[in-house]
Amino acid sequence: MSEEVRGSEDIRIGVYVCHCGLNIAGVINVKELVEYAKTLPNVVVAKEYIFMCSSPGQNLIKEDIEQYKLNRIVIAACGPEMHEPTFRAAVSEAGLNPFLIDLIAIREGSSWVHYDDPKRATEKAKDMIRMSVARVRNLEPLEKIKGEVKHEALVVGGGVAGLTAALDLANRGFDVHLVEKRPTLGGHTAMMGVLNWEGRRLSGREIVRTLIKMVKDNPKIKVYTNSEVVKVDGSIGNFKITVMRKPRYVNERCNLCGKCEEVCPVSVPDEYEYGIKKRKAIYLPYSGAYPERYVIDPNSCTFCGKCVEVCPVNAIDLNEKEGEISLNVGAIVMTLGHDEYEPAIGEYGYGLSKNVITLSQLKRYLSDDGPTKGELLVNGTKPKNIVFISCVGSLGTTPHANQYCSRTCCMAALSEMLHLKSKYPDANIFYVHKDIRVYGKDEKLYWEAIDNLIKFVRFDEPPKVSIDGNKTFVDVYESTLQERILIPADLVVLVTGMTPIKEVDAVRSLFKVGCGGDGFLKELHLKLNPVESLTGGIFLAGTATGPKSVAESIIAGSAAAVKASILLAKDHIEVEPLIAEVDESKCSGCGICVSICPFNAISMQKREDGTRYSKIDPLLCEGCGTCIAACPSAAIQQYGYKDKQIIPQILAVFGR
Amino acid sequence: MSGEFEPKIVVIACHWCTYQAINLAGTSRMKYPPNVRTIRVMCSGRTDPQFVIEAFRNGADGVLVAGCHPGDCHYVNGNMKTMRRTVLLEKMLEQMGIEKGRFRREWISAAEAKKWVDVVTEMVDQIKKLGPLKLAGRGDE
Repeated sequence: MSEEVRGSEDIRIGVYVCHCGLNIAGVINVKELVEYAKTLPNVVVAKEYIFMCSSPGQNLIKEDIEQYKLNRIVIAACGPEMHEPTFRAAVSEAGLNPFLIDLIAIREGSSWVHYDDPKRATEKAKDMIRMSVARVRNLEPLEKIKGEVKHEALVVGGGVAGLTAALDLANRGFDVHLVEKRPTLGGHTAMMGVLNWEGRRLSGREIVRTLIKMVKDNPKIKVYTNSEVVKVDGSIGNFKITVMRKPRYVNERCNLCGKCEEVCPVSVPDEYEYGIKKRKAIYLPYSGAYPERYVIDPNSCTFCGKCVEVCPVNAIDLNEKEGEISLNVGAIVMTLGHDEYEPAIGEYGYGLSKNVITLSQLKRYLSDDGPTKGELLVNGTKPKNIVFISCVGSLGTTPHANQYCSRTCCMAALSEMLHLKSKYPDANIFYVHKDIRVYGKDEKLYWEAIDNLIKFVRFDEPPKVSIDGNKTFVDVYESTLQERILIPADLVVLVTGMTPIKEVDAVRSLFKVGCGGDGFLKELHLKLNPVESLTGGIFLAGTATGPKSVAESIIAGSAAAVKASILLAKDHIEVEPLIAEVDESKCSGCGICVSICPFNAISMQKREDGTRYSKIDPLLCEGCGTCIAACPSAAIQQYGYKDKQIIPQILAVFGR
Repeated sequence: MSGEFEPKIVVIACHWCTYQAINLAGTSRMKYPPNVRTIRVMCSGRTDPQFVIEAFRNGADGVLVAGCHPGDCHYVNGNMKTMRRTVLLEKMLEQMGIEKGRFRREWISAAEAKKWVDVVTEMVDQIKKLGPLKLAGRGDE
C-alpha cells in the first residue's frame, strides 16, 4: 500500500457539482458553490453539470483529469451508494486510482431536506464541499486485496439443509467436508414422523434416507459424525478449520446384531424418540441411521465392558480416544439447526401428567417406525378427547416464551390432526389456538380440518391445564364466543416452537457470525443478501437463521450452496482495501485490539527481541475500525478512514 | 443570517444504519434543521473519543454519535464498544464544563428516518436554549 501523501503542493483537486436536474439546482445556488469551491486549498478546477452521472458528465471529469493533471476528485451530488462504482470506473479509465475520489450527498443531505431555506441549504452544501476537500487531500491510492481460494467447502450440520448443501456443492465439483455433532446424519427431520409433503404422506426418515444415500454414494463428500468444529482460523477463500472427532467406541466391523444392546445395564430416555421410550447406553439411533453402526453415549455409559464381551465381531473399543482433523476450505455453510422449545415443568401441565405431551412426541407415537408402531397409546389406552394448544413458547404467550411466531407449527399441528382423524375417526379433536398461521399451499390444511370437524377454540389469555388424578382439563376463555369452556382431555398436545440452539453464542463467537435479537444467526441482508452471514465466505442455511419448514430448509441449503460455489469457483478473490493495519513500530503489544476485534482478525506476534506486537489479517478484517479507537498507542489506522482523513473533516466544519 | 443563534452540530454516523437513515430522510423529503454536519465512518465503533473532543475544541456546539441498534451492528458488536467508550467520554466532557445535552449517542437504524429527524430537531432546540458553547482555550474569534 501507499506511503505518506506527498507534499500537499502536489495535490490537485477537481470539484464537480451536480444539478441533478432541479433536484439540487432547484434549491441550492450551484454557481455560488462552484465559485466557493475554487477558493479552497488545492482546488485546481471546479465545475457544474446538469447530470454528473451521465456519460457527458463522466467525460467532463475524465478530460479534466488529463488536462489539469487532477489527482483528487470531489463529486457533490448524491451519496456513494448508487454512483460510487460509476465514478470509480470513470476515473480509473482516465488513469486515476479509484480510491482518490469522494462523493458527497448534497442532494439527500441538503437540497431535499432544507428546500424551504435555499440560503442555508447552500451554506450547508458549501461546508460539505469544504469537508470533502479536506478529506480527499489526505486520501491515498489503494489496491484491492487479493487472496487465493481453496476449492473445498465445509458444511456444518447434517440435517436436511446441510445434506442438500453438501450434495449441491459436490455435484458442482467441489470437495465437501460434512461435520455433524450428533452420532448420525439427518437432524430433526429424521426424528419427525409423517410430514405433510404436498399431500403425499412421506415420513421425515424417508426424506433423510434418500438424501443420505446420495451423500454416501458421492465420492466428493467426506462425512464426520460425532464431530464438532473447535477452531476457525483464516478467512474468506482460505479457512483453516480444526474438527474434534469424539469417540464412537464402535468401529465399522459392527454388523448391527444388537447383542450389545441386550446386555447393556444402562437405560436412559431416547432423545431420538423425544423421551417417550428408553434406550441403552450403547444404541442404534434409529433404524437406517447413517453411519450404520451402534454408538456408545459416554455420558450415560458406565464402561462396565459387558457389551465388549458379547460382541461377536470385536467391534467395540472402550479405549477409543478423540481425534483432531485439520481442514483447509474456501467456504463454510453453517446449518446449525434449532432446538425445540422445551416447556417448563408445569407449563400447561407439562411434566406433571403423562396426558400432556409435545407435538413432536405425538408424531413419534403416530410414526410407523415409532415405539408404538404408529398406534396412539397413552398410558396403554387410546385417547378420545385430544386437545392441541398452539403457540407454546411462541408469540409471548407465557412469561418465558419467545416473542416470535415459529411459522411451521400450525401446519404441523393441523397435518397431525388430520392424520389422527383418518386413523381414529371417532376422536374429538380441539385446536385451542391464539392464532392460526397457515400460508401458501398449506392453507388447504385449515379447510380440511374444518371439513373434518376439528373444533377451533380461540384464546387471548393462555388456557389453564388442570390435572386431577388421571383426569386432565383444559380451561379456556373462548375469545370469540366470550365464554369460558372447560374441555375434559384424555390427551393434551403442546404445539411447541423453535428456538436457537443452546450453544448458539459459543458457535457464533467461534465462527464470528452475528445474530439478531431473537438469537438466530443473522443474514447480511434479508432481501439483498439472504443466506450470507456478516462474515465473508460463511453462508447460512436451514433453521440456523430462523424457523423454517423442511422444504424451506432444503431450499436454503441449495441457495447457500450456490452462493458458496460462486466463491469456490474463483481462483482468487478481491476484497475492498478499506481495512485496518498495525504500524509495528508504534505497537506496544498490549493486546487490547485482539480482544476488541469482532472478527478475530488480530493476532499477537513476537519480535526477534521477544517483545510482542499485533498483526491484522487483511482478509479477515471487515474494516469497522473499532480497534483503532481502542489503541492506546495510535498504532492502528484504517485505509480510507485514517485519523488524518477524519480529523481534517471535523476541523473543516469550522473552516479550520 | 438573522441574529438568532444557530448552533453547529457535528454528527459521526455509521455507514450501515444512521447514514442510511439520513439518506432515507432525504429521499422522503423530511425537513429538519440544517445545523448538522455529518462525517461518515463505517462503524460507530471507529469513533475515537478524540474526534468528539476535537469537534468541541474547534467550535462545535453539539456532537452526535449515532450507529446501529444494539444487536443490529453490521460488525457484530462495534456499537457496543461505542456505547462503553462514550459513557466514559460523557463523564469527561462534564468535567470539562460541557453541559449535558451537547453530546448525544443515539441508535438510529436505516429505517428510522423519523427518529433521525426527531433527534436532530430536539438536539438543535436544546442547544439553542443552552446557547453557544463557551470552552476555555477554544480560541474562538
